[in-house]
Formats: sequence, structure tokens, C-alpha cells
Amino acid sequence: MRRRLLALIRKEFSQLFRDVPMLLFLVWAFTGAVYTSGHGGGTELRQYPIVVLDLSQGPSSRELVSRFRAPYFKLVAQVWSDDEVVSRLDRGEASLAVVIPPDFERRAQEATARFQVISDGSQSMSATLAAAHIRSIAYRYSVERLVALPGFTGRGIPRIDTRPRVEYNPNLVETWFSSLLEVFTQTTMIAMLLAAAAMVREREHGTVEHLLVSPLRPLELFAAKLVPVVTLVPLAALTSVLGVVHGAFETPIRGSVALFYAVTLIYVFAMASLGLAIAALARTLGQAMMLLLLIFYPMTLLSGAFSPPESQGTLMRTVGVLSPVRHYVDFAYQVLFKGNGLAYVWQDVLGILGLGVALFAISVHRFARLVR
Amino acid sequence: VGDRLLAIARKETRQLLRDPVYLGLAFVVPLMLLVLLGYQLSLDVKGLLVAVIDRDRSAWSRQYVDGFVNSEYFTLVARLDSEAEAREWIRSGRARVVLDIPPDFGRRLSASETVAVGITVDGSYPSRGQIALGYVEAVSALHNEQLLRAWLVEQGRRSGQVVPVQMDMSVWYNPTLESKNFVVPGMLVIVMMIFPPLLSALLIVRERENGTILNLYCSPASRWDILAGKALPYVAVSFIDFLVIFGASVWLFQLRFVGNAWLLSAAALLYSVCTIGLGLVISALSRSQLAAMLATFLIAVAPAFTFSGIFAPIASQDAVGRFVARLIPATYFMDVVRGAYLKGGEAGAYAPDLAALGVYAAVVYGVAWLALRKRVG
Repeated sequence: MRRRLLALIRKEFSQLFRDVPMLLFLVWAFTGAVYTSGHGGGTELRQYPIVVLDLSQGPSSRELVSRFRAPYFKLVAQVWSDDEVVSRLDRGEASLAVVIPPDFERRAQEATARFQVISDGSQSMSATLAAAHIRSIAYRYSVERLVALPGFTGRGIPRIDTRPRVEYNPNLVETWFSSLLEVFTQTTMIAMLLAAAAMVREREHGTVEHLLVSPLRPLELFAAKLVPVVTLVPLAALTSVLGVVHGAFETPIRGSVALFYAVTLIYVFAMASLGLAIAALARTLGQAMMLLLLIFYPMTLLSGAFSPPESQGTLMRTVGVLSPVRHYVDFAYQVLFKGNGLAYVWQDVLGILGLGVALFAISVHRFARLVR
Repeated sequence: VGDRLLAIARKETRQLLRDPVYLGLAFVVPLMLLVLLGYQLSLDVKGLLVAVIDRDRSAWSRQYVDGFVNSEYFTLVARLDSEAEAREWIRSGRARVVLDIPPDFGRRLSASETVAVGITVDGSYPSRGQIALGYVEAVSALHNEQLLRAWLVEQGRRSGQVVPVQMDMSVWYNPTLESKNFVVPGMLVIVMMIFPPLLSALLIVRERENGTILNLYCSPASRWDILAGKALPYVAVSFIDFLVIFGASVWLFQLRFVGNAWLLSAAALLYSVCTIGLGLVISALSRSQLAAMLATFLIAVAPAFTFSGIFAPIASQDAVGRFVARLIPATYFMDVVRGAYLKGGEAGAYAPDLAALGVYAAVVYGVAWLALRKRVG
């Protein structure tokens, strides 16, 4: 029995290694794709493009405008008319406009100055953030003006000054996060796709019947399909984390790499089982891929990497718990960034393991039904 | 010549119609994704978990903390006693933000002094960390304004002078600042980059796997006939896909749509030509269906998601990111789509986007044409 299984596993491996272009794409997925995605934009406020229409042109307005600066803002242009403001926002060249009225200087002396901010709300997350920043810039500027007013000699005003300290990523470098997220994304997608393809290929070519009449049991058959995926993908993920995320982007890795690798093995097993379960529903690889993506995108967006679980409604939070991706993302960032050990992540590990076993059982069961 | 092209197109259409499950999936799956994203999945960061170390326990500190309790952006999860405990809560992810209010908080404020409040933020999710800092800043600024107002009244000053420089905010295009209003149109761009290329990426490689590609090679049909004949029915499918999603977004989701539907449709047609062409290139270069699927995900789908500017302005990306963004058609279509749904504006403003899509189409079909020849030789 052992020899039969080994023969099948060997066949799966050789089928995989024969497809050279596919292997090249696999390499790209864990190197080039991870590297470029480190350069993609996150939702944080960085170089947010603004235009300024300063009709006052006084020292006060210039001082105010000079405070909208890097790294948060980028002054795209000074414009001179309302029409220009409208067209820059319409064309998306700027996402925010600061309009300072002609009487700003005079009213600033009387401490009743106002200016207008027009924000492009079409990307609501960064728009909200930009508004909060501008508000606090205006507030700080106000306080300075207020203190400078006659009658404020030497005395302070009651004020809360926030002293932020950021743990684990003091400069909030987005690249550390996004390159790692891309490794997880690739791991997820490729584990599902490779496993699904291994099964659908047999169905498309009609070789499933050969396997069925062979003395192999469905359980062995599935194990043989999973072994190459579970061998290759976690290794690729580990190499990518150490080589690209840590090597190229100098992301600090604080936790146990061995723990990360061990749980990645379980995770890939879970996702590959999901791929097999999907393959049982599909007749062609095209169909399988569509079903994969139907599951993949909601799982990714619900993983907690894009918005925190606490921001979701109850329904989505519950669904999220059933997704291995959610547990894995939480696990991996905790271990790699925070240096947390099993004491912190055991629930995630149990979640991945439990879902993995359940998915494997479902796919074997579905396939067994298919046979009959 | 046109006859051969049409014959190939007819054959592809027939093959497409013979697999109704597949064709059905091509319509149902994008729609399901949209329903899910449009109705359920919110990308707005709200209810962030915040914990407080209140070393003062005065009316002053309570009022400040109330500002967080009453904000929809925060959920107060715990009152802690020590910094060590705070670190532990951040470390285990039970809190994303910890406020550390010093013991002299109330005394200093009542003495008209500045008081420093420690804010510890979990930076392991950087965007979220920055958003959390922004929110803390905003809540604090609001509280400062109240403090100032009370103090000025105490000093017998005009309350109009509370804030010497005030900001009036108006939000255009998406006044309620809901992520749904741009995520759903944004997903239209992404979804049209997922399913049409997936369909067309299998077209040539499947024939190669089955060996039927030789029939095409031996036929008098030119490479152009083959490419155009295969592309035509799929461009039609992609365009119908667009119409379905567009209709659903406007009538089902009641999304704001202020632009020109004809302009959007024209851009969608051009975008479909691009995405189908990209699939054909991948198909011509791949040796197996699996490789074609993987390549589609890596070359078409993933960059569209990361670089097209669905979540944040493209200007926020670094030089490499902006360069990649300019190379992919999704960026240009995203511009048209966002304009059509949220901004309106004159059609002429989108001419550069349409031109870019046109250039992309020409390049893609050119490459596919070259790739197809290599295999014949």
C-alpha cells in the first residue's frame, strides 16, 4: 500500500515539475510579485495630493499653507480660480483643495478667520484621515495665534497634548505589512489552485476512472494530491519571507521562524483541502478558478488585513471566524511582527487545524459521493 | 477574409453556449461578489478597540475618555492599571490603542496648563495604526476646543474667538463618506479584470492541450482571424457582464450615478477588448491551463487590485507603484468609472484615459499576434 501511494505522489510531483512556465510563474509569485506589491499604496495618508487657492496671499495664509507638507500632503499646485479647483478635483489630480478667502489676513488679526476645505470623498478612508489631519493642523495653528494675541502674556491655556508611541513598527512603514500580506495572498491562492488543478485535470482528461478502479482509497488519492502542494508552497512562502520581506525590505522578524513554518504547513494543508473541495464541484479548470475567486476575494477582504474585525457587522464577523485566512493572517502578523509565541496564538492555530481537517473531510466525502 | 474570422467567432460562441454552467458562473460570480461587498463588507475603520489607563480618575479625565466612548470610531474595551498591562493588551491584540492619562491631568488643566497624554498604538497594521492616531488626534482636538471655550468664557472673552482660524469642510462626490460608494464601482473594474481574462486565457492553451490547435495552424485563417475570431464572443460576454453589474449597481444598490452612461459604456467596451486581449497573450504563451490561470492571477488580477487606486489615490504610492499603475489598464478605467459614478464632469476630461486604453489594446493584440506566430514555426 505504501508503494502505491509513493508512486502516485511521485507522479504528481513530476507532473508539476514538467510544466516549466508554470514553475516560473510560481517563482515570480513569491519574489517579483511580493517585491512590487511592497510598493503598492496602502490606505494610509501619504503624499495626499492637494491644491491651494490662496486669495489672501498674506503672511498668515502662507504660514497656514506651509503646514500642509510631507509626508502626509503633497502640494500639487497653487491655483488661482474656482474653476481650476473644480477641474483639478474632477480630474483626480488633487484629492483635496484648500480655499483661503481674500479677507483671511484681516480676520486672522481679529481671530475670526475661516478657510474652506473641499475634499474628494470618493476614497472615503483616506479622505476621512486627511480631514482629521487638516483639522488638527488648523487647531494647532489656532492655538499658536491665540497665545500670540495681546492679553495672553505669559499665561498658558488648558490643552491636551498627545504623545504618540507606535509599537512594533515605529515609523508605520507600510511596506513591511504589504509585502508580507502579498506572501500570504500568494500562499492562499496557489495552495488552492494547485490542489484544485491536480484534481480537475484528472476529471478533464477522464483519468479519474483509472484512479477509481485502482486499489487506492479516496483518502490516499487525496493525500497524494496534497503532498506536493504542502511540500512546495510553505517552503516558497518561507523563502519569500526571509528573502524578500526580510532581505529586500529589511522588515524585522521578531518571532520564531520555525513556528511560522510549522503553522504555514497546516494552513497550506487547509487551503489545499478547500481547493480539492472546490474541484469536486467543477468540471473544468475554468469553472474551478471562478469558484476559487468567488471564495478568495471575500476571504481576503474579511481577513482583518484591510479593516479590523471589530469594524464589521456581526454577520461578517461570524463568517470571518470560519475562514482559515482570517486566523492565519492574525497568527502570522503576531508571530513575525510581535514575536508572540504559542501562548498568544494557540486559538488561531487550533482554528486553522480544525478548519483544515473539516475541509479535508468534506472534500474526501464529496469525492466519494461523486464516485458512486 | 471576414468569413473566416466570423466562422471562428461562431465556433467559439457555440462552444461557450454548450457549457451553460461555465457561462452562468461568468455572470453569477461577479454579481455575488458585488452583493457581498456592496451590502456586507465595510472597509471603513470603526469601533477600534481602545483601553485606558486613567491615573487621574477625576471629572476632567472622565470627560476626556467620554469623548472616545461616544465616538463611533472607538470602542472602550478596558480600564487598565499599569503600563505593563497596556503592553500586554496591545501585544495580544485585545486593544489597538491605549491612552495613558497622567495623575496630574485634572490639576494641570484646571491650572490652565498643557498636559501630555501618552498614546500607544499597535503598529503591526500600519494603515490602521495611522488611522487610529488620526482619530485620537481628532477626538483630542475636539476636546481641546471645548476646554478652550470654557476657559475663554471664564476669562470674559468673546466666544467667537475660540478658534482664531477655523476650517469649514465640504465633501464632494461622496458626501456621506461611505466606502460602499466607491468600493462597488471599484470592484466593477476589478471584477472585469478577473473573469473575462480568465475566460480568454484558456482559449488557445486549451486547444493546445487538446491538440486541436493544429487544425487552426493548418487552416487558411490568418493569425489576425484567429485572434479576432476568438476575442469577439468573449468581448461580448465581458460587455454583457458590465451591463449586468452596471444595472445592478444603479438599480439594485441605488448607488449614486451622476455621469454619462454612454461614455462609461464606451470605456467598458474598450476595457473589455484590453482584458480579453491580455488573456489571449497569456494563453498564447502558456503551455498548460494551470499556468494560464496562475499567470492571469499574477499579471492581470493582482496588480489591478493593488495598483489601480481603488482604496487610496495613486499619488500616495511610491515611484515604483505609480509606474506599475500607469502600465495597467485598470488604472485608466478606474478613473472613468469613478468619474462616471461619483463626479460627472465633461466627457472630454476622460479622453486621455480612453486613449491610454486604446494604446494598451493595440500593444496587447500586437504581442498576442507575435506570440501566436512563434508557436506555428
